[in-house]
Amino acid sequence: MHIVDGALSNEVVIAGGILAAGGIAMGLRKMDMEKIPAAGMMSATFFVASLIHVPIGPSSVHLIMNGLAGLILGWMAFPALFVGLLLQALFFGYGGVTTLGVNTFTIAFPAVAMHYICRNGVQHSNKKLAMAWGALAGGGSIALTALTVSLALALTGEAFLPAAKLVVLAHTPVMVIEGFLCACAVGLIHRVKPELFNTFFKEKQVQHA
Amino acid sequence: MHKWLLLIAFMTLSMPAHAHKVIASAWLDGNDIEGEVGFSDGEMAKDGTLVEVFDDQDNKLGETKVTMDGLFRFTPTKPVAHHFKTNLGAGHVASVIVSRDELPENLQNPKQAETASTPQKVASSTPSVQSPDLKRMIAKVVRQEVQPLRKEIASYKEKNDLQSILGGIGYILGLTGIVFYIAARRKENKNT
Repeated sequence: MHIVDGALSNEVVIAGGILAAGGIAMGLRKMDMEKIPAAGMMSATFFVASLIHVPIGPSSVHLIMNGLAGLILGWMAFPALFVGLLLQALFFGYGGVTTLGVNTFTIAFPAVAMHYICRNGVQHSNKKLAMAWGALAGGGSIALTALTVSLALALTGEAFLPAAKLVVLAHTPVMVIEGFLCACAVGLIHRVKPELFNTFFKEKQVQHA
Repeated sequence: MHKWLLLIAFMTLSMPAHAHKVIASAWLDGNDIEGEVGFSDGEMAKDGTLVEVFDDQDNKLGETKVTMDGLFRFTPTKPVAHHFKTNLGAGHVASVIVSRDELPENLQNPKQAETASTPQKVASSTPSVQSPDLKRMIAKVVRQEVQPLRKEIASYKEKNDLQSILGGIGYILGLTGIVFYIAARRKENKNT
């Protein structure tokens, strides 16, 4: 999931950087005082979650938790996940510094997409239905990330279908796990702090008006 | 239900962290450069993986393929640094550089190699340690002995220290504080 230095052509790296910079700027503009702690929390969650590697078959995969980050943060997922990726690249050598933009985009873009697709669903008064939407957000964001990564590799010259197949197949178990975790998180938020989604989304609507 | 969740969380947390990073290394074997490519969790590159060879100016010198045991072999013909690059798919690329002074002696300075070979013949009555066959054998044995050690070092490098993880979380906390500060100043400016 973390694309390393030198795996992509310069054009893809630059394009990824520009897209990521745009997303980060957008996220920073939407950042209010009330949302900063949530952004920090999700950044830390992502940072730790992607250090947990689950061995599956010959390889190993790790959680990403971008679905949950997207649900809660929306556009702010861009700066939050960027910080997590930056620290991972510096501390552990995951991914690379030049591919930081591409990696930010491939992880944060699906988060934002899922935010807009699922934000009404997770607020549903029926808890079961809300959890189903949460599962969709968790699993869907991983699938979208896998596809975006394959696309980045395809633009560099690797054949799209085999690369996509490989990446998507490797992440099917993560999709299931994250869908489950995200559903649990939505269930928990529903029971304990239903206003988490509410306040965040309502404020957004006010901003748009 | 929640107990199970906690259990799963602990199980995953206590698992050894393996990153699927690509590691590659190369060494000299007689007149050839031999090297290996694999993932940091011990899995070697697949049979037939293409390894391309470039010089410092990115001119292609040639290419070779990974054999059954994850090794590749290349016979250098030019006295320049050799960059070995390989793509294992899905964004996993590896490169290893063999610098000029690591190349076989006869390639580094052909004239010197010729003159050096004459005194060798004179001294051949005593059991010569410089005999190329023996040298190669020793190198091979040493390499085999060191192999597990190198793998251990490679996997050790991949280890995520708790300190680094905590440090990362600390950085995130700090950044959150900075963003708070900026947001507060922005608010103040708006109010005044």
